[in-house]
Amino acid sequence: MADARIRSSQLVDETTTEADAVAALTIGVSAALFALAVAAMFDQVSLTGTIAGAQTVTLLGGLLTLLGLTVIALGAGSRLGYVESTPDPSAGLVAGVGAAFPWALLGGSVASGVLGLGTGGGLVGAVVVGGVALVATVIPREDVGSTVPLGGLLLITGLVFATGVIGPAWVWELGWEQTAAISAQFLIPVATLSTTLYGGWAAAKAYGGFGARGRHMGAYVLVYLNAISIVAFLFILVAFVVIQGVPGLLTGFEIGIGAGPEISLLGVSVTLPVSIPFVMNGVALLNEFQGVLPAIVGTFWLVIGAVLLAVPLGVGAAVFLTEYAERGRFTQVVEVATNGLWSTPSIVFGLFGFAFLIPRFGNGKSLLSGMITLGFMLLPLVVITSRESMLSVPDEYRDASAALGVSKWQTIRSVVLPAALPGVVTGVILGVGRIAGETAPILLTMAGGTFVPDTQTVDVIGSFQFISTPPFVANPALLEATSALPYQLFALITAGVGLGSNVSDPNGFRWATALVLLIVVLSFYAIGIVTRYYFRRRLQHT
Amino acid sequence: MTTTTEQPTTTTVGETDERTREAWTDFEFDGEAKITVEDLDVYYGDDHALKGVSMEIPERSVTALIGPSGCGKSTYLRCLNRMNDRIPSARIEGSVRPDGQEIYQDGVNLVELRKRVGMVFQSPNPFPKSIRENIAYGPQKHGDLDTGLLARLLNRDDTAEREELVERCLRDAALWDEVHDRLDDNALGLSGGQQQRLCIARCLSVDPEVILMDEPASALDPIATAKIEDLIADLAEHYTVVIVTHNMQQAARISDQTAVFLTGGELVEYGDTDRVFEDPHSDRVEDYITGKFG
Repeated sequence: MADARIRSSQLVDETTTEADAVAALTIGVSAALFALAVAAMFDQVSLTGTIAGAQTVTLLGGLLTLLGLTVIALGAGSRLGYVESTPDPSAGLVAGVGAAFPWALLGGSVASGVLGLGTGGGLVGAVVVGGVALVATVIPREDVGSTVPLGGLLLITGLVFATGVIGPAWVWELGWEQTAAISAQFLIPVATLSTTLYGGWAAAKAYGGFGARGRHMGAYVLVYLNAISIVAFLFILVAFVVIQGVPGLLTGFEIGIGAGPEISLLGVSVTLPVSIPFVMNGVALLNEFQGVLPAIVGTFWLVIGAVLLAVPLGVGAAVFLTEYAERGRFTQVVEVATNGLWSTPSIVFGLFGFAFLIPRFGNGKSLLSGMITLGFMLLPLVVITSRESMLSVPDEYRDASAALGVSKWQTIRSVVLPAALPGVVTGVILGVGRIAGETAPILLTMAGGTFVPDTQTVDVIGSFQFISTPPFVANPALLEATSALPYQLFALITAGVGLGSNVSDPNGFRWATALVLLIVVLSFYAIGIVTRYYFRRRLQHT
Repeated sequence: MTTTTEQPTTTTVGETDERTREAWTDFEFDGEAKITVEDLDVYYGDDHALKGVSMEIPERSVTALIGPSGCGKSTYLRCLNRMNDRIPSARIEGSVRPDGQEIYQDGVNLVELRKRVGMVFQSPNPFPKSIRENIAYGPQKHGDLDTGLLARLLNRDDTAEREELVERCLRDAALWDEVHDRLDDNALGLSGGQQQRLCIARCLSVDPEVILMDEPASALDPIATAKIEDLIADLAEHYTVVIVTHNMQQAARISDQTAVFLTGGELVEYGDTDRVFEDPHSDRVEDYITGKFG
């Protein structure tokens, strides 16, 4: 293969040079530093701890220094002609402003903090240093302009951290009326994070040989790091909750035949082989184990009820708006109203439920009021997403169906709705994710009973009963106050419920509740994704 | 811009001109007329898209409608089964009579009309369903085929009839041999040419008498186009086919008679295909056919 390569043409990429390897390595170091800084920011790595025998701060500083030197070397190598490159005459104003910003911050801080020149001096320092950085970036050729000022910044930051000028114990009292201070715990990760981004960008430009290709590489590295950081944030958040919540969740965990509680469903009794007291018990004064089972069941029924209310209504409205209503003032009004409803704060929905629904449903907080309130909250999103997905069903399908003499409603039912279903499901998933974690409306409309003993749960199915007077079907369970996970968590933390003797380990209990809430919401999410995948497959493949 | 040899100005459009044009479009043929169109005018808002078109379409033959873009040929085609009803701004005046029955009057059963006058569109548009479901869709929605659970319970199951229908339609559309072993596959997995033949098969499933085709091969490669053209020739033995095309060679190859529409929504010439292509009466049509204009 290598023999067949044409080397003489300028179109073909030359073989990897040492400079390319150095640049690639530099990008790698930036990425590693970025990850390290993110971990330090979320306390997953201690700044005073050691990694590979060196204190974390010193290691960060050393790596930053190295990064700065390499970036400068890459720029200098290109300028002096040791490395082949195709730089533009200037790095451009955007890069200049980007480089001026951290330098100005640095200059301002040094002038006002270290030299003690006060606010005015700080401002002057910021303008002077930032201006110099701007000029130094914009005036020289691109390879120098986009490496040397940033490399210098990395170098200074790295040296400050490595030599211990700013160590883990460093604190800057801002001296405002309010007590405010910048601690090393905050400054070091943030400074590392931002300077590494600059360093990675400059190294990526060098790797691409500057010019158009270099700019492309630089932008690529930046957006790639952005995408990675989103995944990293989610991962860190989930990991954090899991680490804190698992001990509480697994207290008294047992596995073995006959270990768990007995469950009877439709007359058949089964003894579960696992016992997780936290999710199988309620919490009460005399409980041996405390758990959140009533809240889990409450959340489950709440979401089911809201979906049952919102999906038929919302999909029906969307069908009318897309297929029947002529596009005009009326549809515009409905569109604005739906968007407005979606942006309405949840506490307003809660107040509406409290003032309007509760007096009409048994005059007390009830599961039914909660379901209806959350159903109203879910409704606009279902309308918006269903409408979007129906609009994206090609008109060709409608034409084809009409040309076969099939009526409009039959076309909607057999062609438009099936094709729009994945989109509708996506909307419901997003909405359920939001309402399942909603606290404010529940607080006002349905919550109560955070301390339900044993395994007492709201029994919606079993509570249906036929009566001789209208409305002939009654369900007392729907008219009772119930707990739900977000409310339970809120009560535990804010209202201080459970801080007494009835919960043995309040902190563990809270984190475990949060973990269970996360698991429940993610389960709804998973169900939605599987459903959507199923419908999409049916539409696209065999 | 190519220049035209004849540049009609408003002053030349007079009574004589009108009479000449009628002579050019007066096509005498043996046999029955399947569709009679008289003084058909179509307006999209203020735009007069089709101007006083009259023509008779003979049954069991291929009628090609040709002309430059925007000349109203597709509009004309869509008037024949009232598909223009689906465009809110369209206003239609005049008379269209398949089998002598006026379709532009109150009380017309659109379901019945579109069952009799089927349509195949420019880009293949099978439903995102299986091949079998695509064919069975029309008859099922019309209640002619009942294969649901209820039908099975009531012993009224038409599964055998459905299989028969699917095979017949696919054979008539020359697609059976290619797809008979994967009828449950999604139709969107077929190639463009196969999809278009599936659309023709789907159109045949409701047993039409007339098939309207709106540039059915314009999105296809030459081989798929050739298959569609062969198929059209076969279909003309049983059905009346009206096809819009802007490929003049195609019109010359497959049609029995050709109608030429020119810019402005006028039917300029209508007659036997060989006659229209070899000896057009109108200079404008001659220019169009020889490629000097359009």
